[in-house]
Amino acid sequence: MKGRTGWIGVALALAGVAMSLVTLWLVFFRVGTDFRQGIVQRIFYLHVPAAWVAFMAFGIVALASAVYLWLGDERADMAALSAAEGGMVFTAIVLTSGPLWGKIAWGTYWTWEPRLTLTLLLGFIYVGYMMVRRATESPERGKRFAAVVGIIGAINIPLIHMSVYWFRSLHPDPVVLKPDGPTLDADMLQTLLVGLVAFTLLFTGLMILRYRVERARHALDIREAT
Amino acid sequence: MKSRHAEPAWMRVVVAVAVKDLRIEFRTRARSFTMAGFVVLVGVLFNYSIDQTLVRPQEIASGLTWITLILSGLIGVGRTFTIEARDGAFEGLLLTPAPRDAIYLGKVIANFLLVYAIVLLTVGVFGIFFHLDYGNHPLALLLCLAAGTLGFVALATLFGALTASTSLGESLLPILLFPLLVPMVVYGASASGRLLAGRPITEVMGQMRMLTAFAVLALGAGAALFGQIVED
Amino acid sequence: MLPAGRITTVLGPNGAGKSTLLRLLAGSLRPTAGSMSWEGKPLDTRSAQWRARLGVLSHQTHLYLPLTARENLAFHARMRGIETVDLNEALDKVGLSDRAHDRVEGFSRGMRQRLALARTLLHDPEVVLLDEPFTGLDARASRLLEGVLRGLRDGRRSVVLVTHALAEGLALADHLLILVRGRIALDTDAGALDPAGFAEEYHRVVDEAENPAESHR
Repeated sequence: MKGRTGWIGVALALAGVAMSLVTLWLVFFRVGTDFRQGIVQRIFYLHVPAAWVAFMAFGIVALASAVYLWLGDERADMAALSAAEGGMVFTAIVLTSGPLWGKIAWGTYWTWEPRLTLTLLLGFIYVGYMMVRRATESPERGKRFAAVVGIIGAINIPLIHMSVYWFRSLHPDPVVLKPDGPTLDADMLQTLLVGLVAFTLLFTGLMILRYRVERARHALDIREAT
Repeated sequence: MKSRHAEPAWMRVVVAVAVKDLRIEFRTRARSFTMAGFVVLVGVLFNYSIDQTLVRPQEIASGLTWITLILSGLIGVGRTFTIEARDGAFEGLLLTPAPRDAIYLGKVIANFLLVYAIVLLTVGVFGIFFHLDYGNHPLALLLCLAAGTLGFVALATLFGALTASTSLGESLLPILLFPLLVPMVVYGASASGRLLAGRPITEVMGQMRMLTAFAVLALGAGAALFGQIVED
Repeated sequence: MLPAGRITTVLGPNGAGKSTLLRLLAGSLRPTAGSMSWEGKPLDTRSAQWRARLGVLSHQTHLYLPLTARENLAFHARMRGIETVDLNEALDKVGLSDRAHDRVEGFSRGMRQRLALARTLLHDPEVVLLDEPFTGLDARASRLLEGVLRGLRDGRRSVVLVTHALAEGLALADHLLILVRGRIALDTDAGALDPAGFAEEYHRVVDEAENPAESHR
């Protein structure tokens, strides 16, 4: 592992793993059980941080895509790709944990809950992003196409969000970011925040490592071509 | 003699591209016939898929119309760039200094007129097939469909250009397009559904505004990004 | 590198980078490395200014088949902002005035290529790029094309002709480039070459460039 970013990536990823273990310990042994929802509420501490990371990752994809189209810098595209792959993993976590919780809390795997629907559509936008990359003859063109998909997706997500919210909302009301302050118990909030930090670190570390792999691949491509 | 270095006028390029596309469509009828046939046959299939002793067509006609708009639109817009690709015609167009956003808007206008004509046909055919009552505000209904069609065509033209140069071709178009069409379907189907149910126009103003916002956003993004897609 | 007012012919085996060179010049491909310059200034081949100065003719005709000959030219005139250009004259030059209002789909390969030539020269371009223009042409169209190309040698235009056809390529050339594996293997004045022995010479140059190790022995 050469270079500083590599070590930063390893350090962040390890910190993320460690924090995730702490989160799991808190979730299973420390935090109090929600008296209304029961034990299943504990999924919340993984579900919400994963959702946060999934959407943050798409923000990175869109920003890096815009930079790539604007400056044509390969590194921006590598960052976008790394963020997209990481984002897909966390989207998958949201889309598995959500229905599992829903089955017990609501008695059904799927409801047209706006945030869940939005995450499903986000997942499809990620899928489109990845498919477009691989579907062109020239890789450079695929990168540009993917960047366009990323940008249009990012422009559209707020609209999708508004529309699916407007359509129907069954989801429990937001419990953290409310105007009159969080209504979560202190230990629950603590666990959630630890989870948020853990997943963010984990994602950032993995993204940096993935980025390094992509750069190495790129360097190899150039060496082979000449 | 000095070489002619004129800058093509933006608006003229828009109009010329739209006229060219419509003229080709008018002569070949490559897309309009298949789309029209599609709409009528979908109407027939819908008829047999609805048990009219259980649901009244009037109640679900709104949703059916929007789905038909999207599917027939996919057939039409998806082929725009396949037609252009013949004999490298589109490549030739790109070799000119014509501004890319003007080319895009020209194609959007032509596609809009084509798809909207098919939407009007859909409204007419479904009206006859299902004995629909278009109520007090047929114009508002058509306006709401027009706003939706514009947003759809703006995105579909952009992604049609994209998928046309991929190995997956048009089969990729729904994957890219459908997730982004959710706002259009949500607001559009709600607005037209309420109008079909005989509700007053004031009840659908919000949805109409959102449909328009969707179309404007899609047009802006499409015009800005089209160049990135068609340039090799 | 490209002399003004003359015809430069680019020859070379398949995959030598001939078409890539043309596509780079035409701005339909962006360079992955290096840069280009024109008249001493750095050249952005993707700019509208450059495209306005450029005429491209390839084996693909770039024509809209359901449109008539005249409509095709009128459309391109619009795209280039030169609506004042005389379309009848342009059609006349390539011998298509009597077919002006017929759709291109009914045209033979030779007629299409002639119309494509009219479109290429419609805006009186300073730089003309020709990519295998002789492919699939009948004798009449070939002669007409050669005649028009000779007419382009008027001192203010640069013409680049990429072709497989050795004889036609040399006959038209003022300047000759042979590309092999993306590199220039021969760069010479066409006058210095003997047309009779050229085919032999060409193969010698290509072989040498493809197998540099053997030729050193």
